[in-house]
Amino acid sequence: MVPADLSAIHPQAEGSMRLVEGVMSRNYAPKDGTDPDKITFVQVDADKCEACGACEEFCATGAIQSINDDGIHQVVDPAACMNCGQCLVNCPYGAIYEGVSFVDELFAKLKDPDTVVVSMPAPSVRYGLGECFGASTGTYVGGKMHAALRKLGFDYIWDTEYAADLTIMEEGTELIQRVKEQGQKDARPLPQFTSCCPGWIKFTETFYPDLMPNLSSCKSPIGMLGPLAKTYGAEETDTKPKKIYTVSIMPCIAKKYEGIRPELNDSGFSDIDATINTRELAYMIKAAGIDFNSLPDQDPDPVLGESTGAATIFGNSGGVMEAALRLAYEVLSGEKLNNPDIKVVRTHEGINTADVNVPNFGVVKVAVASGLKNAAKLCDEVRAGKSPYHFIEIMTCPGGCVNGGGQPLDPEIQASLFRSTVAQINKRFRARKIKA
Amino acid sequence: MIMKRRSFLKACGVMAGYAVLTVNVASEAFAAAMSFVALRQKSVYAADANPKIYTYRKSQDNPMIVKIYNHKDGFLHDGPCGHKSHELLHTHYIDRSAKLAALKAKGYKLSI
Repeated sequence: MVPADLSAIHPQAEGSMRLVEGVMSRNYAPKDGTDPDKITFVQVDADKCEACGACEEFCATGAIQSINDDGIHQVVDPAACMNCGQCLVNCPYGAIYEGVSFVDELFAKLKDPDTVVVSMPAPSVRYGLGECFGASTGTYVGGKMHAALRKLGFDYIWDTEYAADLTIMEEGTELIQRVKEQGQKDARPLPQFTSCCPGWIKFTETFYPDLMPNLSSCKSPIGMLGPLAKTYGAEETDTKPKKIYTVSIMPCIAKKYEGIRPELNDSGFSDIDATINTRELAYMIKAAGIDFNSLPDQDPDPVLGESTGAATIFGNSGGVMEAALRLAYEVLSGEKLNNPDIKVVRTHEGINTADVNVPNFGVVKVAVASGLKNAAKLCDEVRAGKSPYHFIEIMTCPGGCVNGGGQPLDPEIQASLFRSTVAQINKRFRARKIKA
Repeated sequence: MIMKRRSFLKACGVMAGYAVLTVNVASEAFAAAMSFVALRQKSVYAADANPKIYTYRKSQDNPMIVKIYNHKDGFLHDGPCGHKSHELLHTHYIDRSAKLAALKAKGYKLSI
């Protein structure tokens, strides 16, 4: 496939703002070594804030709150913000912007013939991207997404879904080890928490640091694919690792924070060079003049591209749990799991718990929490020593990554503004009537 | 302004309609957002169960996963949670609670 001509695309000034799929976004790509805790990834434009307080309702930590008598909201300090962007996607006025965007830097790398640019899209991107091109909500566009990445000029179409499968192997094995070592000296504690979600990880580090030993030591899928691309991938494709520029493509804003964590440098380089989200990928496809809907379905490149259904369900709340159980069941029981559907752990909202019977082993007790307010409840239980579970999955965004802060916006939310305005007028009308 | 009986009734009807329809707008908006999420979730499970999209449904069956963990010549030949895995695929976490304590000391009230 011949890449699109990007020569007409020129970088904007650093710090300038642009509209990306309905969200204002600041052109700023942090340099290596920048302290991620000092960066504002999500902030309110005070001129556009209408003081409705919707953002505050959706924020689990209270990082976004009213700062004056007019009720104008701001993220008070990046240290208290988990960068999930739930405030942003739920703001009916489009008043919340993104503070970090690698779009221009990425365009420059795609144009540079000396840089080997590697794509690493998360599962959920393929269930949201199509919406930016007129498809109905949730349409699967995985094949077109791979074709679009090739057309944009990415040199290797590798896939975070492959790393999701790898995560299951590592995290599932870790869980089995933890279960077996209970009672021994220096045993790692149970329950084991999942570690895929960057908002949740920062949440633990900030609010429940005493529970850090319960977090799986596994990196997230993207945290695994970055270093693999620059070691294994470089070996397999005979590429110099220092020429490789890895691009994490996520349904998420918090992944931008994860991407610049200084400790993620196990390849000998920065493991993840850039992070963009679903909206930004759609913006880039449009900016490059690619007709997305007429693209053929294409496969990713081998070695770090192939994936399974267990990987794609990482996008849903309960998905990592189900994928892990598909492995744990077979390893612990020594038997084949005939029906991979483990529907009891599938979670739409709130907290979901289940006892999974594994032959030749016993009961595996699991919990899935969707949203950090629910996560806090499970954390308090673990802290009090009252948690009966072996394994707990946490997703910061209600419903999971498919509802991430970097996904295309729900058109209903701004449309609901009209209805709520009517409601407010009605309320005032009724209040007046009661007074009179 | 003189209002005819007919237009008066019509206006009443419209107002009554709004009054009924807009009860609990907040919870309605929330329900709408969740149905939006539900559509995406449904599509994810449909792709998982569609053999035309995913040949395999378990991570351990992925041929590229089998290849990387191959005991003989795989890149991660010492297996999951082996030495090489720990070097490349595992991490450690950083206690960030001091920043939070500093924020609270400045007088900020958070909800947690």
